[in-house]
Parts: sequence; structure tokens; C-alpha cells
Amino acid sequence: MKSNPQTLRIGIAVAIVLGVIAYLAVTSVNAGKSYYVTIGELQAMGSKAYTRHLRVAGDVQANSIRRDGAGARFVLVEQGRTLAVNYQGIEPPPDTFKDGSQALAVGTYGRDGVFHATELQAKCASKYAPAKPGAAPATAALSSPAAQK
Amino acid sequence: MRIFRWGWLALCLGLLGYGFYQAMYVAPTEATMGDIQRIFYYHVPSWCGMAVFFAVNLGASITYLATRRSHPLLALNSDALALAGAEVGVVFCTVGLITGSLWARPVWGIWWTWDERLTSTLILWLIYISYLLLRGFAAGPQMRTLAAVLAIFGYADVPIVYFSTRWWRTQHPAPVFFGGPNSGLDPSMLPAMLWNIAAWLAWGVWVASLRYGIERRKQRAEQNAALRALESTLEVAP
Repeated sequence: MKSNPQTLRIGIAVAIVLGVIAYLAVTSVNAGKSYYVTIGELQAMGSKAYTRHLRVAGDVQANSIRRDGAGARFVLVEQGRTLAVNYQGIEPPPDTFKDGSQALAVGTYGRDGVFHATELQAKCASKYAPAKPGAAPATAALSSPAAQK
Repeated sequence: MRIFRWGWLALCLGLLGYGFYQAMYVAPTEATMGDIQRIFYYHVPSWCGMAVFFAVNLGASITYLATRRSHPLLALNSDALALAGAEVGVVFCTVGLITGSLWARPVWGIWWTWDERLTSTLILWLIYISYLLLRGFAAGPQMRTLAAVLAIFGYADVPIVYFSTRWWRTQHPAPVFFGGPNSGLDPSMLPAMLWNIAAWLAWGVWVASLRYGIERRKQRAEQNAALRALESTLEVAP
């Protein structure tokens, strides 16, 4: 196929657009602007950790949840590292927030070593298994009207 | 042809009914999320439908660009197919976003978040909405060429959406399928998902075929109008 000037111009334009998209994608990944940080990354941030609004991920340590009104105090664990979280928000934590579940706390890291969260999000696994007979699922209140009685 | 069309609709309704039965009564209740997880049987088929019909739009758009000078009739057919694919794809994309949001509220505790998966999906929806707007606001062969080029660029977002949960840390769970260890669907849940994928794809094909037929009639009406306009100028000439 003979290439004419117009094809060449369109080709150059396409190359520039794709190049810019690739550049932005690569630089944003390298800049580490992730959706959330791990506990290890939070503790490695140094003094920067205290000034930023962050989202931290971890597993809720068993028997660590102390509810208080709509808020809750609990401990997040990730690869042996722990982080105490004090959640004081408007809404109560979701039903899936319980021992061993993955959670994301949004807020700021205090110099007292406690993460002060204003929002709490659960992160769910991508493994679906049937409930064992007799065991009540976490969201039983949502599922069957009978459970609400 | 008409019998085939109504037969196909009956097949769709049967599949949708059986898919509903499988999803609501046969599939077991999920261990951690409970009954809310059943929305999965509608969430995943929506994205399957979106992927299929945006791919139809892409293929038809490329065919249009390749044949618009050499085979005008094939190009017009492709253009009608591209429009039908984009419209049905947008419907599936909308349903996927809504079911995802309804599912996120009880399970994540939020309706929406700006993670990579959700954001790239919203951008995809906006790209195809703009594609349909372009087609609505302009007309003629220039519009068709521009729309086809936009469709090709727009489709570049589809793999980004698909791989977003592998490339980045997201609120959205990692892939359930081909996601490696610690992911996967219990075999007892598979039939409900597959029946619903089959049912919604069949429904999408039915709607797309109607839209394709309507668009072809519209194209023929435009051609006839153009021809009459041309002939009327010939009559007044000496």
C-alpha cells in the first residue's frame, strides 16, 4: 500500500496520543499514587505519613474490635505489622467488617501511633464459597426477612 | 424471518427465566456476603455483554473504514451494526455500573469510590455515550467516519478496564476467574452464572438485531430522499 501524506499525518497523531497515554500510565504507577498503602509502606513513609490523608489496608485482627456508638477501635494486621485504628465516622461499619476481614481505613496517621479514620471500607475476597448449613452469613440481616424478626 | 425473530425472543425469555431460577433458588448462599452475592449472577453477565457488544462495534467500525470507498453497501451495513453494538453495549455497561454500586453499598460500605477499576469503567461509559452523542448530533458519511475512528480509540479502554484489577491496587476485588490462588467460584455457583451469561447475550443479540434493522431502514429512507431531491432538480432543467 502506498502511503500518502494524510496517512502519515494520522499515523503520527496516533503515535503521539498513544505515547502520551503510555507515558502518563507509567509515570503515575511509578509515582506510587496507589489507591491504598500497606501498613509496611505507611510505617516506612517517615514524617510524611503524618501530613497526608491516606487509605490503609490490612486484615482486622481477631477479637480486636471495640465498638463505641457508630465508631470502632480495632487493630489492622498485615504481614506481622500491626496498626491501631480509631474509627470515628458518621456511618457504622459495613456488615462485612468483622474479625479476619480485609478493611480499608481512610483518614490520617496520628503521632500517637494510632490511625484516625473517618471512613471505613471493607474489601471483599474474590473467592466465593457456599455457606455451611446452619452458619449465619455476615449479612444475614439483609438476606432474609425472617432474620430481622 | 418474523417467525425466527419471535422464536428467538421466546428462547430469550425462557433462558432469562431459567437463569433467574438458577441464580435465586439453585445457587447456594455465599459464605461471607450472604444473599447479596446473588447480584453477581447479573453483574458479571452485564460485563460479558458489554465486552461482546463493544467488540462488535469495534469490528464493524474497522470494516466500515476499510470498505467505505470500495464496497459502499457493506460499509453501510457495518455502520448500522456498529451503532447497534454500541447501543446494546452501553445498556450492559450501565446495568453493570448500577448492579456494582448496589452490591458495593452493603458489602464495601460505600456506593462508589475512585479506584482504578471503577474510574476506568466510568470513562469507558462516557466514551461510548460521547460516541452515541456524536452520531446523534451529526449525519452523513463524515459522521460515520469520525464515529468509526472514535470507536477504535474508545475500545482501547476495554483492556485497561479488564486488567485494572491486576495492574493496580483496587477497591474492586481481584479477578474471580483466572485470578490465581485464593480466588475462584465454587463449582455449585457456575451453572447460575453461565445460564445468565447465555440468557443476557441472547437478549442482547435480539435487541441489537432490531436496532440494526431500524438503522438499515433509516439509511435506505435517507438514500431515497437524496435520490428524489436529485431527480427533482433534473426535471426543471431544460
